[in-house]
Amino acid sequence: MSDFLLQLSKNKAARRVVRSLPLPIPLPEALRRDSGPLGDRPLADRAVAIGFADGAELAALLASTLGAAGADPYLAGEAHVPAFRDAGEAYGRPARPIDALGSRAFDALVLDATGVRDVPGLRALFTFFNGHGQRLARSGHAVVLVRMRRDASADEQAARAAVTAFMKSLAKEIGRKGCTANIVEVEDGADARLGGVLRFLLSGRAAFVTGQPIRVSSLASFAEERVVHGPRLERRVALVTGAARGIGEATVRRLAQEGAHVVCRDRPSDSSATTQLARSIGGTPLHVDQTEADAPAMVADALRSFGGVDVVVLNAGITKDRTLAKMSVEDWDRVLEVNLASAIRLVRALEPLLRTGGRIIGMASIAGIAGNVGQTAYAASKAGFSGLARGLAPALAARGITVNAIAPGFIETRLTAAIPVAVREVARRLSALGQGGIPDDVASLVAFLASGDAQGITGQTVRVCGGSFVGA
Amino acid sequence: MARRAVVVSGVRTPFVKAFGDLVKVDTIGLGVAAVRGVLASAGVGRADVDAIVWGGVILPSAAPNVGREIALDLGLDPRCEAMTVTRACASGLQAVTLAAAGIERGEYDVAVAGGSDSTSNAEIKLPQKVVHALAPLALGKPTASDMLGVAAQLLPISELLPQRPRIAERSTGETMGESAERMARRNEISRQAQDELALRSHQRAAAAIASGRFDNEIVPVTTPDGRTISADGLVRADTSLEKLSKLRPVFAKDGTLTAGNSSPLTDGAAAVLLMEEERARALGLRPLARLRSWSYVGVDPTDQLLMGPALAVPKALERAGLTLDAVDLVDLHEAFAAQVLAVLKMMASDGFARARLGRDRAVGTVDPARLNVHGGSIALGHPFGATGARMVTTMANELARTDKQTAVLGICAAGGLGAAAVLEKVS
Repeated sequence: MSDFLLQLSKNKAARRVVRSLPLPIPLPEALRRDSGPLGDRPLADRAVAIGFADGAELAALLASTLGAAGADPYLAGEAHVPAFRDAGEAYGRPARPIDALGSRAFDALVLDATGVRDVPGLRALFTFFNGHGQRLARSGHAVVLVRMRRDASADEQAARAAVTAFMKSLAKEIGRKGCTANIVEVEDGADARLGGVLRFLLSGRAAFVTGQPIRVSSLASFAEERVVHGPRLERRVALVTGAARGIGEATVRRLAQEGAHVVCRDRPSDSSATTQLARSIGGTPLHVDQTEADAPAMVADALRSFGGVDVVVLNAGITKDRTLAKMSVEDWDRVLEVNLASAIRLVRALEPLLRTGGRIIGMASIAGIAGNVGQTAYAASKAGFSGLARGLAPALAARGITVNAIAPGFIETRLTAAIPVAVREVARRLSALGQGGIPDDVASLVAFLASGDAQGITGQTVRVCGGSFVGA
Repeated sequence: MARRAVVVSGVRTPFVKAFGDLVKVDTIGLGVAAVRGVLASAGVGRADVDAIVWGGVILPSAAPNVGREIALDLGLDPRCEAMTVTRACASGLQAVTLAAAGIERGEYDVAVAGGSDSTSNAEIKLPQKVVHALAPLALGKPTASDMLGVAAQLLPISELLPQRPRIAERSTGETMGESAERMARRNEISRQAQDELALRSHQRAAAAIASGRFDNEIVPVTTPDGRTISADGLVRADTSLEKLSKLRPVFAKDGTLTAGNSSPLTDGAAAVLLMEEERARALGLRPLARLRSWSYVGVDPTDQLLMGPALAVPKALERAGLTLDAVDLVDLHEAFAAQVLAVLKMMASDGFARARLGRDRAVGTVDPARLNVHGGSIALGHPFGATGARMVTTMANELARTDKQTAVLGICAAGGLGAAAVLEKVS
């Protein structure tokens, strides 16, 4: 079940041997991940190269964000040096010319392309990443910032679409080195919410997120009091469904690490695993079958005793993979009921209990985006969470509540270990990063979306798929 | 009227290089010399002291309450209570502010506060593995099989060797010099600027010694072999920029910190006599200065370990209702020249003030003419626990001797701590 090629690639000598073989064996890069709670300087001492397309609008924000996060900025060009002066003095991170790093590699590349309004402007992408892409370290992160203007012309929209495809392609090219490439689309008026997104995307907590556009908006109101230090979710109550194992368990542990009190819901048949998990993180087990008619009321009652809930993670799910022709109506009903219908009923019951600045996070799937043979029911049920996020986000925005879906790609769990070996191997290798993710990759994304750093993200589906071959 | 604590007198022992002339005098012995000296200088009797508050960093494990040992060794009235505090390099200042708080709170009227450290007598630490393995032998009656068991646990032998003491952060493993070296890079402090500050420190300390300015601040120490040490041992009157610039970096290959622009390991003690103001006047003593405010801060040790004073000084000034520009004297502990210059740069930056202090304008700039007027820890040395009391002594005397009204002190300390205090003249 463990990824043999990945294990092999961690051994220097073996790596050399395999590379020298006249065989097309793609050795994946062992990803550098950051673990533990998101600290106040998640980018401490990381070297970040920063470029600016003409008309770049976010230099000052990049300066303060990166400085406060502990990163060392290296600037391409001199036009924006003054914008970095204050942050340099404040955080002891003076901006230096991009050549000053010498032969060392950059941990991240950031291009502020907010000024790109037409196709000729795209040349800035080529210049920056062609010039410095080779200097990105293994497991490095590339990010492009684009502006979502309300009044964007057709030319500008064409350029914007081009940027996204450029970065997705770059993601596939640099994925072999374990590097990621993502796009951040900043809406007018949402600049202040960019910082938290960058702290995540440029860190090893987003090691398996790549080829992904993320929209930063001011839709969800609520200015969270900035947490300067310590766990981001202290004094918060989180509910995780399907908590007992796999992604659910990793999510429970990560949210607890961030300081949340986690209520772990799973089926009564999994009660011992759920109880053990809840006990080990100081949380509360909740043995309720989500598909029972009175489940929403029972969960709501339990959360009411904590005074409400801040984070709801809808993770419970099953697979009954069959091609449509062979699928029974019972299986179809069961998958849609467990994965989606019961989750929606639960959300409806919890809506009044969600506190200001709350979060709803649904576990979708890459299958729900791309479709998959034998997964008509599963894909349909998972895609439902993307729709739920889009539909519910505007309604809850006034209360500062965000609603998002996460679409994991191939994640190494008990579920995927059961896949036939050939299929499994193909699924692993067909991603930009050439490997499967780990449950903690998904958990890190959940923890990020649950935090105040993600106040600008709502109504979206974020993939954590290593740049899956299929999927948007 | 509210009770006010005033500084009546202050002295220190000579500061000498670790493993030098004072190697045979432990931290208690150094403290005894300083406290004896401060009582004598003020003409205060052994029965008049209510309390000793002492600071130390390398505390003797057999007698960690150094303050009480000093009181007993000196034959003070047994009713003189004592405690020992530790706050890394700010321990001496901590003792002084704690004593001032105790007086103003009404706990006592007369207190001696200060600190001492004998780096020469740091205990060599046995690895915890040895300690745990030996426990059955040390406690209870060991049997032969216990002994064999212990022997088996003590292999391999390489793990048993006592570890060389390092001044390293427990949380990061980084030595203080490495942290300061990173601060130099982060704040773009040049080697030359560091060497210039070090040179000024030596020149001013040498001038103070030559002029006799320190004569009534230094009390001699008699060693067990009968020698009397009465002069500072580290100040180099003859150093020059040329000599300093030739020294090799010690904490990083391409670094800028050298033995010349860093404070040396030092043995020494300093003591300050504090009294409730009315009591001082009743005893016919002239108060030198009053502690108007103080502040202690913490910063993330993984970032810029020694930047604390850049936050503590503005806070103490704010509590005193003063601005940096309005203060006559600025005394910054010189752990490293780079650290002092980094702190000064931070305080002079609008960007720093906005992001780190929530203020619109920089804290201010410090003209070298009012900074460390009689040198600092680079030239004089830095017995960890004594430095704060040494600075209070020198600044209190400076306020009393001149027409200066106020002084602000700043100290950085291990663990990412910073300390500051504002002294004002008492008329």
